[in-house]
Amino acid sequence: MNKISARQLYFFLACVAPIGKLVIMPSRLAVYSGNDLLLPVLFHYLIQAAVIFAVLLLAKRGMSLFEMLENSLGKIAASCIVLLLSAFLLFAAFLPLIEQKVFVQGTFYDTIPSLVAFAPFFPLAAYLCSKPLSSYGRTWDLLGPIALVGLVGILLLSFTETDLGALLPVGSSGAKGILSGTGYTFCWFFDSLFLLFLLGKIDYQKGMAWKGALFYFLGGLAAILFIAVFYGIFQETAINQLFAFAKTSVFFSGITVLGRVDFIFIYALAFVLIFYCTLPLQAGVEGILQVFGRKRYLPTILAVAVTGLLVVLMIVFDYRFGQVMHFVSEKVFWIFPVFTVAVPLLCLFLRRKPVESA
Amino acid sequence: MKARKFLKTLPMKFYLLLLGLILFSFFSNDFGLVDIQKTAVILAAGIDKTEEGFSLTAQIAVPKGSDRSQGGTSSVDIESEGATVSDCVSNIFSETGWVPKLVFINLIVIGEEAAKEDVISYLNYFMRNEYMNDSCYLAVCEGKAHDLLTSKSATDDTSALAIQKLFSNAAEKTGKVMPNNLKDFSIGYYGVSKSGYLPYLRSQSQKGAEHSPSPGTGESGGGSSSSSSGSSSGASGDKDEKVYIAEETALFSEGKLVAILPREQTLAFSMLSGNIVSGTFNAKEKDGKAVTLAVIENKGGVSLDMSGAPRVKMQIDLTVRLCCRGTTAPIEDISEDDVSEELLESAKEVLSQYVADLWETGKKSGCDLFHLRRDLYRASLKKYKEWKDFLPEVAEPEIKTEVKSLK
Repeated sequence: MNKISARQLYFFLACVAPIGKLVIMPSRLAVYSGNDLLLPVLFHYLIQAAVIFAVLLLAKRGMSLFEMLENSLGKIAASCIVLLLSAFLLFAAFLPLIEQKVFVQGTFYDTIPSLVAFAPFFPLAAYLCSKPLSSYGRTWDLLGPIALVGLVGILLLSFTETDLGALLPVGSSGAKGILSGTGYTFCWFFDSLFLLFLLGKIDYQKGMAWKGALFYFLGGLAAILFIAVFYGIFQETAINQLFAFAKTSVFFSGITVLGRVDFIFIYALAFVLIFYCTLPLQAGVEGILQVFGRKRYLPTILAVAVTGLLVVLMIVFDYRFGQVMHFVSEKVFWIFPVFTVAVPLLCLFLRRKPVESA
Repeated sequence: MKARKFLKTLPMKFYLLLLGLILFSFFSNDFGLVDIQKTAVILAAGIDKTEEGFSLTAQIAVPKGSDRSQGGTSSVDIESEGATVSDCVSNIFSETGWVPKLVFINLIVIGEEAAKEDVISYLNYFMRNEYMNDSCYLAVCEGKAHDLLTSKSATDDTSALAIQKLFSNAAEKTGKVMPNNLKDFSIGYYGVSKSGYLPYLRSQSQKGAEHSPSPGTGESGGGSSSSSSGSSSGASGDKDEKVYIAEETALFSEGKLVAILPREQTLAFSMLSGNIVSGTFNAKEKDGKAVTLAVIENKGGVSLDMSGAPRVKMQIDLTVRLCCRGTTAPIEDISEDDVSEELLESAKEVLSQYVADLWETGKKSGCDLFHLRRDLYRASLKKYKEWKDFLPEVAEPEIKTEVKSLK
């Protein structure tokens, strides 16, 4: 079986994972926290880096999540927990997907295209879901550099227009603003849960736990830098700028002469986003397969069923993006820390060694 | 054997095919195809106030015909009225059958009367539109925006394109104009300063200019016939040809036009912003004759000092060279760029006066032109709460002008 190497994992943590937070989250943060929007992101990255450190410590044990749970709690309890986590991931996948859809429609099209323009995403997602999660390793080898080039390119084109003084005075939104900013953006931070499903598929090497956490935090600093630039450019009007990474580079003076050269970098990040958005789906399917076993046609059937369900949901909620975002990020936001922080940390208390069978 | 190999590689082929399909559907933007017969590609919009609501003049690009020897862009102007700007845009569709497309709009002109009311009530339509470019230029004009946009330009087939030339980077560096865009104006409006500025446009007849009629212009599109208020630009006719001037600057407080800076104060404002690279201004010789100095380097800044009573420090540092005397000069003088001490002193006096006038205009109008309230807010929330209702009016100006000659 393919195992994910340290390099592939670090590419994901440092380069791919931050991209999903740079579409709509920055403007939502501006709504809740105003010019203090960096503090909630910093809190999230500190929390997630700590959880990733804990999850990567679990990777040392060489067992999958299901095996670890079964070892400590028995098969039925393990099945229930893994299925619950999978259901959560499939639920959590919906917001990034619909976010990606409106991003593509709003950024790459001059008029609203039909849903058909987004349709090829679903067979691709179904295909990826039918593959083992560990197959993502090779993809991250490719996506890591693309994401890096995209983000650096956009940052370079955006710096000239930014006024970082707009981030002052620190604390002006008060504790309420910072806390609501932190709470209502939990739905964009579930990277640690992916890693939980990768347990047993990671080629663990010495020091991987702290290095993984460090790389994740470095990626977080890049995201924080971008969000600072974003707010420095749009300031009080940042709340009106939905698609952050497609907006900041528009003001680069060379664009009036060269045209929208920044689209090269926007395309790069949008490409990475395609795979990042399928990740919770794939992890959700992986969880179900851990319970029922990777039988012959089951991965394909599950992958088709899950993406089919998403197609239906996408049609139903086609013009209700605002409502979906409001529900997920503001109404049920508390679910996210339970599954992405508490559950991975509780896994540290699972039995370390497999129970000897009689 | 071959069949097995084919089946083995089939998933990968399927994967690549899907990936190709995704890239194609996500990034093709329908190949950017615009059905020009059905779409109104709006280049510029003019907004005026009417008794019932608003009037929107949209300058729409139209095909110029098959004659490739003709350059430039042809356009028709459609005027539409409604209770909101959105109404006006919808009316363009209902009156002409063209679907308005705002992606290419790069200039919004607000009529002088309309600018005296909170302009965000017009601009919010453009801010809400996700396809609209935030770097779109904004301007206020003398009289009606409709008249300005439908006027015939002496320099371009389309008035909007002629006006946009005034807002280029090169023009901005001369210090003659202070362009502003939708993003920066709305930041000023929604920020704690609640103030902003826009270039103030005037048109002026270009007497004696001859403009040969363009065979492809003004005859296509059908805009003028589909709406009673439509007119076509680029066509030859009995209209005066106009040139446009944007040397004045309109000041806004809480979205309303409150004052207009004359060209000298616009220059001072530009110098305080440190924008000028190749601009010129006039100083005076002892005998009162004008001498033009060219700015080689410009540093400028405005800062608020709250250590005692509020003081505003306005500083301009210029490096200049002699550009032109209004009198005859010996060849030895022409070969030298040096500026005499007397001229430098005169330049200092002139600029200090411009800055002092600029400060007074801003203070009287209530426009926080230099965003002093914003600076204080960023520096100290406590002092901001204490002083926000008194700034900039109570602040004492401290003007410092340094002009040195290029060695």
